[in-house]
Amino acid sequence: MDDSSVSHHNGGQVGSEIGVSVNNKQNEESSQSVQYSIPGILHFIQHEWARFELERSQWEVDRAEFEARIAFLQGERKGQENLKNDLVRRIKMLEYALKQERGKFHKLKYGVELQQGDMRPPPEEPPVEPDPAERAQWKQGRQLIKQYLQEIGYTDTILDIRSNRVRTLLGVNNEEQSEESNYRNCDKHHYSTNTALGRKMMMYDYGGKDQQCKGAVSGGYNEEGLSVQENAVFANFEFLANQEMDMDEIEDIDAKQAHHTQMKQGEEVDHEAEEVLNELNLLTETEADGGGQGDEYVVKFPSGSSTSGPAGEADEKPLALGELAQLTVSNEPEAYDVAGASKESFRKTWNPKYTLRSHFDGVRAVAFHPNEAALVTASEDHTLKLWNLQRTVPAKKSAGLDVEPLYTFRAHSGPVLCLAMGAPRSEECFSAGKDGTIRVWNLPSATADPYDPYDAAVQGPVLRDHTDAIWSLASSHGRLLSASADGTARLWSPRAPRPLLATLRDDTTAGDPAAADFADAATRAAVAYNDGTLLLYDLETAQVVLRVSCSSPTTRVRSHPTLPVLVTAHEDRHIRFWDAVSGRCAHAMVAHLDAVTGLALDPNGLFLLSGSHDCSVRLWNLDTKTCVQEITAHRKKFDEGILDVAFHPVRPYIASAGADGLAKVFV
Amino acid sequence: MADGTQILRRNRPGSKAKDFCRWPDQPFEEMDNTLAVQQLIQQTIRRDPSNLEAILKMPEAQEEGVWKYEHLRQFCMELNGLTVRLQSECKPNTCTQMTATEQWIFLCAAHKTPKECPAIDYTRHTLDGAACLLNSNKYFPSRVSIRDSSVGKLGSVCRRVYRIFSHAYFHHRAIFDAFEKETHLCKRFTYFVTKYSIISKEILILPKLDDEVPINQPVGESEA
Ligand SMILES: [Zn+2]
Ligand SMILES: [Zn+2]
Repeated sequence: MDDSSVSHHNGGQVGSEIGVSVNNKQNEESSQSVQYSIPGILHFIQHEWARFELERSQWEVDRAEFEARIAFLQGERKGQENLKNDLVRRIKMLEYALKQERGKFHKLKYGVELQQGDMRPPPEEPPVEPDPAERAQWKQGRQLIKQYLQEIGYTDTILDIRSNRVRTLLGVNNEEQSEESNYRNCDKHHYSTNTALGRKMMMYDYGGKDQQCKGAVSGGYNEEGLSVQENAVFANFEFLANQEMDMDEIEDIDAKQAHHTQMKQGEEVDHEAEEVLNELNLLTETEADGGGQGDEYVVKFPSGSSTSGPAGEADEKPLALGELAQLTVSNEPEAYDVAGASKESFRKTWNPKYTLRSHFDGVRAVAFHPNEAALVTASEDHTLKLWNLQRTVPAKKSAGLDVEPLYTFRAHSGPVLCLAMGAPRSEECFSAGKDGTIRVWNLPSATADPYDPYDAAVQGPVLRDHTDAIWSLASSHGRLLSASADGTARLWSPRAPRPLLATLRDDTTAGDPAAADFADAATRAAVAYNDGTLLLYDLETAQVVLRVSCSSPTTRVRSHPTLPVLVTAHEDRHIRFWDAVSGRCAHAMVAHLDAVTGLALDPNGLFLLSGSHDCSVRLWNLDTKTCVQEITAHRKKFDEGILDVAFHPVRPYIASAGADGLAKVFV
Repeated sequence: MADGTQILRRNRPGSKAKDFCRWPDQPFEEMDNTLAVQQLIQQTIRRDPSNLEAILKMPEAQEEGVWKYEHLRQFCMELNGLTVRLQSECKPNTCTQMTATEQWIFLCAAHKTPKECPAIDYTRHTLDGAACLLNSNKYFPSRVSIRDSSVGKLGSVCRRVYRIFSHAYFHHRAIFDAFEKETHLCKRFTYFVTKYSIISKEILILPKLDDEVPINQPVGESEA
């Protein structure tokens, strides 16, 4: 939105607001006395009026948003009631089936009918239809507001952003049509991969339902692999879940599903109910025999084939990761806990919220604070900046939120190229750059004022062993891993008296390290070279334990948080997945229109974020390898677009950093 | 865009420091993105940081406001380099005030009420404040076109930035000289503010630096 350009007519000293007004003893420009004139006053009043109108319209939009939220919550409640009713009915069904079973058994054994109280099948409830009138009313209302806003010059972009947000609230996926259908397709099929990933995925896709899934999964967890019952339960959930995605195509849904229609968010299902569900599936046959609503409980087993969706070359090896996934079943229970904490973050569509402007040149790296709503950016302007997303300056007249940096870190004598947050220590971060130094920083507190006196204690130790530009840093278990164009990757204990722990060098590799990441609980280091080689070093011995190569220079490497999988980004627009045990290329896909430059995995390893010189950020479902969302976020400087992307470890934020000097945060 | 032999002007991960930005110059007319002016300025500086005339030769049909704005961004950015060096020597207990000659004590305008910040704080606060102002969505929402009222804001930034040079010159001469030898930044800045009459000559208190380029006819309107 265009700020009004006449704010300096307000008579106030606008300059002082941003802290750069001329205020020194020279006083070259003493403020002139303000002269009032009729046109000036009129202008002022007009301007003020326009401002109030704008604010008013903003309130209207906010109100619409809240109304949407209310409607959403009401729908949610309805959904929960429906689910409860459904479960009660299922329990009755089960009781009925059990009684019949017992009766049969008794009859066979003793040859007499067993006298049981109530032998009537439970009554069927009428399916709940959505209220079309309500929907129409809604649309109309929004249309009106939209018209009104357009009249007063509210830009379309803002409307779009707002409506996106509203739609997110309503749980409606607002992807482009094609992608949406992709997504749906995958949803319908991806249970077929009987993999750990497949099971985890479900929790994410269907946000609110994860309670059920979680229960169900942990219930059957001790068993090796997936039992038939579990499969059945999952299949059951599958068609519950599909309701949600298909809200707009209710007519397509067959009768079986009709009575789940309004279900959006599941209520918490206790263990009893969960057992009931399991048993229910055991008894499906009986039900079918017993007539009643047998049909309703016929479980559709997904067909064995997996469709990974039309994502270019994604079809090459559809089940590859699935096989890998089974290798680490033991890792998963922890994953579920974390998943529960941040489940909300992945259900929705990401929308831009903050634009971080303060760097004078391209932002090369971005990293989130381990737990706070804060992040650090590193730039070619030789500085790093710390941002607190909760200390926003409410931009006076515009709708967006401006964030001003909390602190500017100056010590590098050249472009800063990479960045890592301390782990497990959250109050430190590391940076390195073209000048070949690694800097350890003590983060100022989140309440620091950018104009506080300079505190030299912010600068920690400096690690100077590298002799050329450093392109990548990773931190884990108090250790730091760096990759440099001097041909080495190095392992550090950054605050130790002798910080250099190991130098990882491989003389047979022609290229120089471009990226590195810890792997396998920080016992190994994956180092990607700019000739396409990918090496896995054992950090005890500093020896290469795995060597794979591909034709295209690698720009980034990330190791999967729970699986022995390495993900690499390449100049040739590909993202590749490698089995970290066998070294096999498990999957390769064309991910962008230009070189892929940024990679980030969400903390649970279910989603992948990628950035590219094509200026777009893409979010990938790791299970199906399909693109779930695409965001165009930055402008080009020379031939560079996006330079880095990041996931917040625990909060629902993602960020991108661009050659245009901006960093953006999406919520 | 994709014509096979095309040069991609990129710094690829893993490349050596000496190869950073080492790509063939791109003619300004062929730059078709919003950061063209920044690209041109940086490209010309890389070619020869001492060639002030080339660096400050504005392309024809270029909006002068944007030209000045982008140059000031570049100055503030490169001043980070001087600040890093000053941080090691300019301490709050030795340089308790922002001074150049003993004539003036400069108050730091980054605070609600101007404050007598130590020189290093003045330097940092001024650059941080400039970063905020020059990136402000309110005053500089676009890097392609800038309102005259916003162009007027550049003058006060320039005056303060000049004090950083003058403090370094009078109090940390070794650092100043070493930095200047590498970057020619103060010479370039002086040339810039004089050429566009952004700062009045009386304020430019530094003695003429060697091999400084004389400026014949100042252009542009007075902003100071
Ligand atoms: Zn000093
Ligand atoms: Zn200050």
